[in-house]
Amino acid sequence: MSSPEVSPESTASGLELPAYGRPDDVGPTAASERPGSFPFTRGIHEGMYRNRPWTMRQLAGFGRATDTNARYRALLAAGATGVNGVFDYPSLRAFDSDHPLARSDVGRGGVAVDVRDDFDDLFAEIPLDKVSVSLVSSQPIGAVAHLAMFVQAAQRRGIPKAALSGTSQNDFLMETAITIAPQALPPVGSFQLECDLIEYAITELPRWNPVSISGYNYREAGADAVLESALTLTHAQAVTHELIRRGHAPEAFLSRISFFLNAHSDFFEEIAKFRAARRAWAKWVRDDLGVAHEPSQRFRFHVQTSGVSNTARHAHVNIARSMTQGLSAVLGGTQSLHINGFDEAVSIPSEHAAMTALRSQYVLLHETGVAKSADPLGGSYLVEHLTDVMEERVQDVVAQIDAMGGVVPATERGWVHAELSRLSFEAQKAIDDEEQLIVGVNTMNDGADVPVEIFRLPTDTLAKQSARLAEVRSRRDTQAAASAVEEVGQAAVAKVNVMPAVERAVEQDATLGELGAVLRTSLGLWDFPLW
Amino acid sequence: MVNGLRGHKAVIAKLGFDAHWRGVIIIANALRDAGMEVVYLGHASAEDIASAVVQEDAILLGLSTLSGNHLGECPSVMEQLRVVGADDVVVVLGGTVPAADVPELEADGVAAVFPTGSSVPDLLVLIEELVVEQDAARRKAGSL
Repeated sequence: MSSPEVSPESTASGLELPAYGRPDDVGPTAASERPGSFPFTRGIHEGMYRNRPWTMRQLAGFGRATDTNARYRALLAAGATGVNGVFDYPSLRAFDSDHPLARSDVGRGGVAVDVRDDFDDLFAEIPLDKVSVSLVSSQPIGAVAHLAMFVQAAQRRGIPKAALSGTSQNDFLMETAITIAPQALPPVGSFQLECDLIEYAITELPRWNPVSISGYNYREAGADAVLESALTLTHAQAVTHELIRRGHAPEAFLSRISFFLNAHSDFFEEIAKFRAARRAWAKWVRDDLGVAHEPSQRFRFHVQTSGVSNTARHAHVNIARSMTQGLSAVLGGTQSLHINGFDEAVSIPSEHAAMTALRSQYVLLHETGVAKSADPLGGSYLVEHLTDVMEERVQDVVAQIDAMGGVVPATERGWVHAELSRLSFEAQKAIDDEEQLIVGVNTMNDGADVPVEIFRLPTDTLAKQSARLAEVRSRRDTQAAASAVEEVGQAAVAKVNVMPAVERAVEQDATLGELGAVLRTSLGLWDFPLW
Repeated sequence: MVNGLRGHKAVIAKLGFDAHWRGVIIIANALRDAGMEVVYLGHASAEDIASAVVQEDAILLGLSTLSGNHLGECPSVMEQLRVVGADDVVVVLGGTVPAADVPELEADGVAAVFPTGSSVPDLLVLIEELVVEQDAARRKAGSL
């Protein structure tokens, strides 16, 4: 590919790069592809951002629900067009804030929630029938309860289920391979809950995306762009097969599956990744699954810029990093975007960092002009070439995962963990050996650092959440709550969809930790094959 | 090349509920490559961490957290090490730890803090220094 006198170069994920793109690097179909038509390489809509800009969805969550609600409202007032809510670790893992293991993590990395009253506070004064809400309930064990609490909080305000629009992340790999944590469910059990939530939403919540198949977090944990894409695709395929097995027509749910990808630093590789993912998914849905319904073939995705690429030293340089990453997402045709705060490597974002990130999105939209034409890099020799090579490489890994029986067995046997560990170790070695230069880490790291202000969390979160839990436990009908929780466990064991039972338990003011505990008892626990 | 870690034992653990494992596994791999025997506990309570240090007779305890829970969890581990009389183990902490928090951690007995972006070879050199020094101190105490 490259001329003999030029030394070979490759992308971050090892795709060979020509010294310059040439017309014969472009595949035969590229010239006839159009945005909005199969295979959607160039975007899922013909008009793309002319018709509707991407949703500006800045992730936020810390302290108590009231603290985070204030941040959501500040972001919306400043021009955010969607809510993106992340929960603290105990809440993601479905433990109560007053659990002994939880105490130091309450309100950290996300907002603390325990009971449905917390969801009243979290979304107070936010018009849930107008603003879409992404619940970054990454792990199914927490996601099932969060969604029931969210729905009931909305209903208490008179907003019906049919009006609610948004997304649950709801990803079994997050629970079993990405976010190691005490007392995780086994892959099969976590996947069962994930599919329960999806099944519930496709019948009960017509505007809800019940899963956000996450490539982002695999990438952050060490995957390269190829593995990120392959895990994403095989995971979506596993969900599709399971929902079909449960008796649902693909046309009824495929258009409700959404995806979540990383925008990492290798600019053209990332753009090629977004384009290739759209094409690979559309081909699989049409050609392998035999679904002609076009909305089912559209790979709709959210992007977050790469947190792991951000540095603690010279942290303001992260603004430049995240901006170019965000640009790749827009050039790659994302539906929704979060740009990281420049203090990502130091603390959760301060309001200043979050607003700077949001305003950066508006620089992309209003100042750069890149949103005016769909797929502006379509036809680029290099980008078309990388898109083709990326798709091929991804399909090779998809075939490897399929040979293990799919992504659930591949997780069970530890293959996913081993690949992530291997690739993250290699990436670190490349930095240590200075094959990969990172500004502020192994190059350009001299000179005085200008430290960023550390965002300090509220200090009263644990005490106040504990008080709320005590208050709720004392006012509710203990017997009714306990038996409703018991029914959740029975449903899980019987492999009957748990969601109706979860809804009833939440109506009885069951706590998140009680629901988590009964699901852990019923579905069992799992040791990570991580080391 | 780091040679002084060969044959020594390390216990490694995640603190509290923090979920990020990339960094801790990279360090665990690097220590193993440097010849250490590595016991990875995953998430563990302060009591379990301290008892593992005793049971394994570890010279190094590596703690990891990126959630910001270090000022809550680290002191509990240090206290528990003192309770079981294992506070001569070299304790290092890695993760998202603001520089402003380091003095408090060091005053409590944490030997070194490695924030995100630390160079692995540099960190191994420092750990080697600490381990070799502690090993000498243990030998000296043992021969008295």
